[in-house]
Amino acid sequence: MKISLNHLRNYVDINVSPEELCDRMVMAGFEVEDIEKQGENIKNVVAARILKITPHENSDHLQICQMDVGAGEPVQIVTGAQNIHEGDYVPAALDDSYLPNGAHIVAGKLRGVESNGMLCSGGELCLTEADYEGAEVNGILILKGEPKPGTDMREVLGLNDYIIDFKITANRPDCNCFLGVAKEISVVLGTKFTAPKPEYKTVGGNISDYIYIEVRNFDLCPRYIGRVVKNLRIKESPDWIKKAITAAGMRPINNIVDITNFVMLETGQPMHAFNYNDIRGHQIIVRNAENGESITTIDGTEHNLNSDMLVIADGEQPSCLAGIMGGKESEIESDTTDLFLESAKFRRDNIRHTGRTLGIRTEASGRYERGVDIMNVEYASERALQLIYELDAGDIIDGAIDLNNGLPEERVINVTTDKIMSLIGVDVPDEKIISILNSLGLPTVANGKELTVRVPSIRDDIEDRADLAEEVMRIYGYDHIVGKPMRGEVVRGKKLPERIKTDKIKDFLISAGAREIATYSFISSSALDTLLLDEKDERRNQIKIINPLGDEYSTMRTQLTTSMLTVLATNINRKITNARFFEASKRFVPKSLPITEQPEELPTLSIGIYGKDEDFFTLKGIIEGVMKLCGAHTQYERSAEPYLHPGRQALVKANNTPAAVFGEVHPTVSAAYGIDCRVYVAEIKLDVLLNINKRKTLYKPLPKFPAVERDFAMLCDADLPVGALEKAITKGAGRLLERIELFDVYSGSQIPEGKKSVAYSVWLRSADSTLTDKEIETVSASIISNLEKTGAELRK
Amino acid sequence: MKETLEKIREAAESALKAAADESEIENLRVKYLGKKGELTAVLKQMGSLSPEERPVMGQLVNEAKQKLETLIAEKKTDLKAKATEIKLKSETIDITMPAKEVKCGGLHPLNHVVNDMIDIFQSMGFDVVDGPEVETDHYNFECLNVPADHPARDMQDTFYLAENLLLRTQTSAAQIRTMENRKPPIRVICPGRVYRADEVDATHSPVFHQLEGLVVDKGITMCDLKGVLEQFAHEIYGSDTKVRFRPSFFPFTEPSVEVDVSCSECGGKGCRVCKGAGWIEILGAGMVHPNVLRSCGIDPEEYSGFAFGIGIDRITTTRYKISDIRLLFENDKRFLEQF
Repeated sequence: MKISLNHLRNYVDINVSPEELCDRMVMAGFEVEDIEKQGENIKNVVAARILKITPHENSDHLQICQMDVGAGEPVQIVTGAQNIHEGDYVPAALDDSYLPNGAHIVAGKLRGVESNGMLCSGGELCLTEADYEGAEVNGILILKGEPKPGTDMREVLGLNDYIIDFKITANRPDCNCFLGVAKEISVVLGTKFTAPKPEYKTVGGNISDYIYIEVRNFDLCPRYIGRVVKNLRIKESPDWIKKAITAAGMRPINNIVDITNFVMLETGQPMHAFNYNDIRGHQIIVRNAENGESITTIDGTEHNLNSDMLVIADGEQPSCLAGIMGGKESEIESDTTDLFLESAKFRRDNIRHTGRTLGIRTEASGRYERGVDIMNVEYASERALQLIYELDAGDIIDGAIDLNNGLPEERVINVTTDKIMSLIGVDVPDEKIISILNSLGLPTVANGKELTVRVPSIRDDIEDRADLAEEVMRIYGYDHIVGKPMRGEVVRGKKLPERIKTDKIKDFLISAGAREIATYSFISSSALDTLLLDEKDERRNQIKIINPLGDEYSTMRTQLTTSMLTVLATNINRKITNARFFEASKRFVPKSLPITEQPEELPTLSIGIYGKDEDFFTLKGIIEGVMKLCGAHTQYERSAEPYLHPGRQALVKANNTPAAVFGEVHPTVSAAYGIDCRVYVAEIKLDVLLNINKRKTLYKPLPKFPAVERDFAMLCDADLPVGALEKAITKGAGRLLERIELFDVYSGSQIPEGKKSVAYSVWLRSADSTLTDKEIETVSASIISNLEKTGAELRK
Repeated sequence: MKETLEKIREAAESALKAAADESEIENLRVKYLGKKGELTAVLKQMGSLSPEERPVMGQLVNEAKQKLETLIAEKKTDLKAKATEIKLKSETIDITMPAKEVKCGGLHPLNHVVNDMIDIFQSMGFDVVDGPEVETDHYNFECLNVPADHPARDMQDTFYLAENLLLRTQTSAAQIRTMENRKPPIRVICPGRVYRADEVDATHSPVFHQLEGLVVDKGITMCDLKGVLEQFAHEIYGSDTKVRFRPSFFPFTEPSVEVDVSCSECGGKGCRVCKGAGWIEILGAGMVHPNVLRSCGIDPEEYSGFAFGIGIDRITTTRYKISDIRLLFENDKRFLEQF
């Protein structure tokens, strides 16, 4: 809420500097978004008198002026303006001066003639007609009166005001107005606060002869007050009103419209002015719109209405969107003669809902949404009439129609001072508590420590002692709170087992050289197309965001791979030659679509690697490390993910449950991401891994007896997976097996077509004796016979 | 004979001194001490001496032999040392050549900060819990004292997934789930991802991270809140950091405060980092609203509590002086490697 500091002084004594005022208001809960000193961008611009004007020899439009700028000697300034005369008083920007638009004026030559500054227009000083009459004429601003040459223009223009922009929190709608802020200032500074007392004279008559008002929905309109003013004298508003509403960011229009806006800004209560003669049947009906009805609002837009929306209708049709915007038809115009003035309270959720539906938000609807005080409706109406009377803007008809369904009783909170302060932990003297509450307009009487606090309807936000505690402390000062260390039993906080395990997996990945990445949880709706996933793939069951920031961020991801591919592409395109990345995040799996309940949020690990030293097997090594860390017994099977290279991908089962898929990315998919090298990705279901109960680690004695190494070289079918050979060796070696190592795979010259040569080293060891030659022979024979079952043939 | 011995000894010693390698020494040893060596020959002549001279001469020969053996041993050690020295010298390397890198990855900067924060609060007895990111309107708003169509909903633009389901706008929703599942005393933090419909720019991201803290017990006051936050601020920003409470409004706490810390860059004097204020806003906090306690079945007359929500991304960007929040989600390796 932007407020002119000069205007605030009408209600409250401000005995500190604007800066100090802002600091103290901040500490009382009113953040200051901006403080603007009027004219602070105008420097070295003075009032000056034109002594003499001579034409410029080399120009038919430039004129040379000798100026009295209060410096004794005249100063020569060249201007292109034609609206000046000798003897005029005008603003002169001297050598080394600044204008509000940031322009720096220095002495120079104009077509060979020395010019020691510039004469200014109203526009160049950022003035409007509201600031100074004649500010918007074409040409130099001609000053009124005879300001002493050399006087700073800020002084001449009366630019000594500060515009302070207070941020009003959602719980204090009562401070969305001049009076509310002024009241708070008076409490903070401990100075006097005065609200205007509405007084005016009517011209007699009886309102009932002029208008009939009916409220058909008191739930949506708890109070409606109507007044009639005849014989409008529409003209410009006086300066003080124009300045106050301009400072608040509104534009002056005419006295009647300005009064309704001013009263809204002053009291927080929106007003609406109808052209009385446009109200058909002179009937005001506050009712829900009928489905199919429409209204054209003053901005010229036609809106289709439904029965949830409240309208102010006349005898025939909607005349105003209640609390939001008036109708074009009944708008006040310069020739309007009679006025119907509305002051009302509408239910805030209904206004909000209608505003959202129609896409309109106005100064008025904003205030209604945040809530207006039902008791203030009358004060505001009276205040508007007072201004109409004082500004002689029309003849006020006697009587008000005030429709309501009963006004609320003042609420009473009974509480002890100890109870209030128990939330704070600071000792505030009882008298202080009572005086603060009273000064805030919460009349409080004490009986020892028992307080009876009366809460007027304007402080709807105050419900119980917690609210009173806040009121006391924000005035008493939060800096009285002294921090206390944690008390209670000495305990160290616990982490969830899932977090502990995930952290361990991350530690492992980091030690394997991988960098953690962070990507958004939502992806483009077409991201899965880039993975070439089948239409029926269950990952396509994705949750859509109803109001996304754009399609790119519209869909909750059911996999992390597309995000990883994007990151890999970013890095590859930036010529980074190699990388290992991982991300541990969630995939969102709906239980049904469209969703009606919370989806499963499953922890997922994604890994992506590329670079000259990376291949399928380096990724396999990382995955094996993760699996081992989690205590998983793993099996690898060929998989058929469409986004992976058909011959270079695998499904990993952990304890027989599918837990991961990894492999080289299919070139078509890579190309779609703009990736021009081989990249490898893995998607691991952490939910599966985190559920594995790792066996407790128990010490095994170190071997006492030597191991024996035997090599086995064999020929087998080229497409026989070596995993089958390993399995055969493991089976054949039985409990004596210590370790197997594949040390050679070869096909080519000397190897028959369709065959390959494979060689293993096998270490055998017994825990309780040195193996005898005979034992070794037996085991070797068993290994060989198992190998032969796979079709392999031992090479001699 | 004595002269002969003397001559042999002198000759041997000078020959040894001149010897340049091990084989030469070995030759000398054979020449003098071998079975057919010169000293051995002298010893063999002992028979021709008188019984009186024999022991005297024998001792002399033995002395000479021992001396020579010692010299040979010394010479050998000496030569070995020299050889080692030469070898080592020849093996000198350029220590400024690049290291053989041990490749180690690292956490994302956000998680460095999260882990630090978890450590701090864990040591103060806070359990670390998690909550769902897709929340119901009930947990994200209703239970937090923000009924439907309440103006406070405007404070946070929400992504909706269904009429009643949304992406949580704050980790505060986890407060409620915790209070429903635990009995006081409660002391938990919940770090996690939150979402708001903010257009992406240098300081806004639709995805960001918060750490929510909640304490509920008998007799909890704002002084306890300040104590915990001071401890936190001291560990994150340094032990001379001051903490300031400023009145504010959140629907789920009452009283509510914005919490500022003295600017660690200028110590509170005012600088570019704190925009001249001397203070930097780091979090929002307050005493848990009685309505919130009540909605979780906790009697506000018996228990009180405080809650706070810290913006993790903000702490991260200020700690590392990251000027654009988008860098956190771009994942350029050269950026990530800096942490």
